[in-house]
Amino acid sequence: MFEFLFKYPAGVFSKGTFVLLGTWPRWALGLSIAAAVLAIGAILWKRRSRVASSVRGLRLAAIWGLQSALLAILLLLLWEPAISVTALRPQQNIIAVVVDDSRSMALNDVGRTREEMATHLLNSGLLRNLSSRFQVRLYRLDAGVQRIADTAQLKPDQTSTQIGKGLRQLADEAATLPIGAVVLMTDGADNSGGIDLDTVAELRRRRLPVNTVGIGREQLANDVELDGLDLPVKALTGSRLQAQVALRQNGFSGKHAKLLLTADGNILASRDVALNDAPEQVETLEFNAGKAGVKNVRARLEPLPGESNTLNNELTQALSVDDAKRRILYVEGEPRWDYKFLRRAAEDDPALQIVSMLRTTQNKIYRQGISNPNELADGFPSKPEELFNYQGLILGSVESAYFTTAQQQMIKDFVDRRGGGLLFLGGRWALADGGYNIPPFRELLPVTLPNRKNTFQRIFVAAELTDAGKKSLITRIEEDPEKSVQHWEVLPYLANYQDPGTPKPGAVVLARVDAGGTRLPLLVTENYGRGRTAVFATGGSWRWRMQQPVGDTSEETFWRQLLRYLVSATPSRVVASTPNARLEDDGRIQLRAEVRDTQYFPASDADVRANVIDPDGVAETVPLRPEPLAQGIYSAEWSAEKPGSYIAEITAKRGTQQLGSDVLTFRRENGVAENFHREQNRELLQKLAEETGGQYYKPSDVGRLPQQISYSEAGITAHETKDLWDMPAVFLAILLLKGTEWLLRRKWAVV
Amino acid sequence: MLLRGVLVAMLPAFLLLSALWAAGPIPDWRQFPNDASMVGRRTSRKEQAPQKFREYPAWEYNNFPIPADAGVPGEWVFARFMYRAVPTWSGYRLINWTIDYPRSDRHLSAAVRRLTRIQARSVEEPVAAEDGDDIYNWPWLYAVEVGHWDLTDLEAAKLRDFLERGGFFMCDDFHGTVEWQTFEASMKKVFPNRPIVDLPNDEAIFHTVYDLDDRYQVPGEQFVYSHRTYEKDGYQARWRGIYDDKGRVMVAICHNMDLGDSWEHADNPEYPEQYSALGFRIGIDYLVYAMTH
Repeated sequence: MFEFLFKYPAGVFSKGTFVLLGTWPRWALGLSIAAAVLAIGAILWKRRSRVASSVRGLRLAAIWGLQSALLAILLLLLWEPAISVTALRPQQNIIAVVVDDSRSMALNDVGRTREEMATHLLNSGLLRNLSSRFQVRLYRLDAGVQRIADTAQLKPDQTSTQIGKGLRQLADEAATLPIGAVVLMTDGADNSGGIDLDTVAELRRRRLPVNTVGIGREQLANDVELDGLDLPVKALTGSRLQAQVALRQNGFSGKHAKLLLTADGNILASRDVALNDAPEQVETLEFNAGKAGVKNVRARLEPLPGESNTLNNELTQALSVDDAKRRILYVEGEPRWDYKFLRRAAEDDPALQIVSMLRTTQNKIYRQGISNPNELADGFPSKPEELFNYQGLILGSVESAYFTTAQQQMIKDFVDRRGGGLLFLGGRWALADGGYNIPPFRELLPVTLPNRKNTFQRIFVAAELTDAGKKSLITRIEEDPEKSVQHWEVLPYLANYQDPGTPKPGAVVLARVDAGGTRLPLLVTENYGRGRTAVFATGGSWRWRMQQPVGDTSEETFWRQLLRYLVSATPSRVVASTPNARLEDDGRIQLRAEVRDTQYFPASDADVRANVIDPDGVAETVPLRPEPLAQGIYSAEWSAEKPGSYIAEITAKRGTQQLGSDVLTFRRENGVAENFHREQNRELLQKLAEETGGQYYKPSDVGRLPQQISYSEAGITAHETKDLWDMPAVFLAILLLKGTEWLLRRKWAVV
Repeated sequence: MLLRGVLVAMLPAFLLLSALWAAGPIPDWRQFPNDASMVGRRTSRKEQAPQKFREYPAWEYNNFPIPADAGVPGEWVFARFMYRAVPTWSGYRLINWTIDYPRSDRHLSAAVRRLTRIQARSVEEPVAAEDGDDIYNWPWLYAVEVGHWDLTDLEAAKLRDFLERGGFFMCDDFHGTVEWQTFEASMKKVFPNRPIVDLPNDEAIFHTVYDLDDRYQVPGEQFVYSHRTYEKDGYQARWRGIYDDKGRVMVAICHNMDLGDSWEHADNPEYPEQYSALGFRIGIDYLVYAMTH
C-alpha cells in the first residue's frame, strides 16, 4: 500500500534526502505560500458580510485552511520536489545471505523445520530476485560464518549460534569486498549473550545494513524453560544457601511441576511449583551447602506431559564449599549467660571459631578459643595485622572507653577496609549505655543511638520478626520458612532488652521487641564499606535455650546463622572472581583477582598467577596483569577449551612474601545453550536491523526485500534522484482537500 | 571445758527443735506433685515465667534482714535447690535444703559483686522442681547437704532436663561414706549412666578467675569447736564432677567439705579466714566456669 501511494519503498524515504529540483530559490516558495494564504484570507475576510451566516467564524476559517493547503501543495509541485537516495549499483555489489545453521533451526514449529522454511524462502524466488540485481554469496552461521555454495549444504546440527561473531567476520570482509548489505535468516537464538557493541559499531562505521528475516514462532507452545540459576559461587561448610531458579512457560499455566536441586546425584532440595503466567517466575530453594569441595549444583524441573522441549529443563552451576574456619574475636566485658550459649552454638559449627576475651574481674581477662598461648595475651590487638587476622568481631557488654583511640580507629578499618563483620550486642555496658555514641562507632553502627543512658532493661520481652526477617536466612530457625515464622511466635521471652535507637537509612531491621507497647529494633544489619555491621540489642537470648526442650536447636541455629552472616562474605587478601562462572559453548573467560597487602591496602606490585586445573586434571599457569585504572585489581583472559568443571587457584606474592590465595570454580558446557531460548528472538533481530540501518522482515514479507535492499550506502553506490510530484498520494491529497471543502459547503448549504 | 562439751553434744538436738518450731508443721511430701512425664515438654510463655522472690522458713535463720536492693534484678542469682530430704526415724522429712540459708547465699552474692564484674542479685532464689518451668530461669543451681537428699522422680527428671539444656549444678556440705551413698543413690536417678569422676587439677573449672591448684579441705563451722577439718569419715576433700557429652562439667560435687559454711561464716570472727577465702574462690571459679563453658 505504501509503495502504491508513495511510488517508492519506505526505505527510500527513510534513507534519502528531500530536495527541490526547480531553479527558483527556496525562499520564493515560502514567500509564495505565505502570500497565497494571506490573499485567500483577505478575500474571505472582505466577503464575509456577503456570505451566508452559516459559514461564519470557525467554519470560515476551515474553508480558509482547506483552500490554503491546496494552494500550498500546488505551489510546492511547481518547485519540482524529489528525493535523493544512495543506491547500490546493479551487479557490482555483493549481498551476503546468511542462514542460521544451528540446532535450534531444526525445530519444527511452523509446519516444517525452521531450516526448511529458510531454504524454501531462498529457493522460491528470493535468491533468484537478489541475483538479478546483485552478486549473492551464501553463508551458514553457527559459531561463525562459513561460505557455502548452495542451500543443500545447510544442515541444522551445530551446537551454538554466535550472531555477533559472524557479523564481525562479514564486517571484516567488507573491508576488501563490495558487500552492499547482509540478509540474515535466523531465529535469533544467540548463545553468546547477545551482540557486542563493538560489532554493531563496526557495522555502522562501514554503513553495512543487516536485514533480518525472523524464522520461527515467537512463542513456543507447551514448553517450560529454566531461564536462570542464581546461587553463590562460594560458601562455608554446612551453610544454609538460597538458589533462585527463574523459569518461564507457555501452555502450562496453572499446572504443577516438581523442581529439584541436586548436587552430584544427591537431592539438596525439592519443591512443587505452580506455574503461572508471569513473564518470568522466580522460585527460591533453600539448601545446605554440605561438606567441603567443588559441587555441581543442578536445578531441574521434571518434564510435564506433552512438553515440546525437555532439554531446557535443567541448569548447572559450580559451587565451591570451603572448610576453612572463620575466626571471630568476641570481646565481652562481664560474665553473662549469653556469652556461654553463644560460644556453645559456635563450638558445634565446623565453620566457626570463637576466640573470646572476657573481663571476669576488673583486672583479669579470661581467654577461650585461642590458637596459642600468646594470642590476646596483651589484651585487645594493638596492631591492624593482628586484628585483621579475624574475619568477624563481636563487642559485647564492654564500654567503648575500654578501647584506645587507635584501637577504635582500627575497629573501623576492620570493617571498612578489611571487610570484616562487626556485631554489637546489647548489655549494661553496651551501645548507648556503654558510650558508643562517639566516632567512629557512631558511623559504624546500623542504628542512631539514643542520646541517653539506662537504655538496658532487665525486663522480659517477646521478640518478633519483621517482614524482612521472615525472608532472611539469618532468622530462619527451622528448615521450613513458615514453620520458622511460627516458631518465632512462641519463642520464650528474652531476659532483657536495650533500646538501640533508630535504624539508619539502608539498614535492615530483621527483628524487634515489644517493650510495653513500644516496638524497638532488636536485630538490625547494614553493609558498611567492604564489610557489614549488625546490632543484636539484648543479652537475654539464653532463655531461648534454657526454656525450650532438649533437642530444640532454634537458639543455636539462630546464633550460627548470625555469626555466619557476619563472616561468610569477609574477603581474604586475595579475592578471585569471574563475571561468568557458567560458560556455554564459548570458552572465553576473564579471571580476575583483587589483591590486598597485610594491612588490606590495595597491592599494585604483586606477582599474581592462576593455576587452572581443567576437567582432565591438567594444570596450566596463567599470569594475571594489573589493570591500569584500578588499584590492586589483576586480570587475565583465558579460554576453557574442554567442557566440564575447572578449578583456578589464584595466588599473589610480593617478592618472597606470600600475600594469599583464593580458589575460583567455573564450568563450561557444550551443546546445551541451543536447547534454551528456542523461540524466535524478534526483539534482538529488530534491534539489530534498526541499529545498522536495515529492516526486519517476516517470512511473508521477504518478497519486498530484493528491491528495498538496494538503498544502501555500503558497497559500490550511486546517487539517484526520484521525482515526487507524480506520487498518487499527491493527487489523492488534492482530491481530498477539494472534496472535503465541497462536502462542507454542501452541509452548510452554501453550494 | 566439760560444760562446753555438753553444749556441743546438745547442739544438734537444740537445732532440730528450733527448726521444727520455726518451720511449723512438716509438709507431707506425698501431697507434692511427682509426675515426671511432663518434664521436658514445650511450654507457654506464661508457664515459663520466673517465680517472684520469697523467703522460706529455714533451719538456722528466720529473720535474716532483706537487703534494700533485693528487688533489683541481676544477671546471676544464687539459686538454691529445694529438694526432698530422706525421712527421719519418725517418717518426717527435714528441710535440709535450708541449711546455711539465706546467710551463705547472700554472702556469696556480695562476694561475687565485690570480686568480679558479674552483676549479681543481692538475694537468693529458692527453686523447687514442682514450680513448673521456674528452674530453667536460674542456670546456676546450688544444693546443700545432698547427703540427705532423696529426690522424687519429678525432681530427678527436672534436674536432668535442666542440666541437659545447659544448666550448671553445684552441691556441697556432705561428708563421709554414708552420706556419699545417699547422694549417689539420688544422683543415679538423675544420670543413671554418667559416671561421677574426680576433677583433675588442670580442669578449667579451677582456673577461670583464680588458679586453684593448691586446694585444702574447707571445714564447716564445727571447726570452731572441734578444730577438725573433717566430719564423720570424710577425711579428705573430694572435688568431683559429671561431664556432659562435650566434655564440660555440668555437675560439680564438693564432697567432704562445707563451702556453704565458709560463705555463711565469712563474717564470723571465730571462723578462720583462710577457709572463707578459699570457699569464695572456689565458688567464684565454679560460677564463672558455669557462665563460660
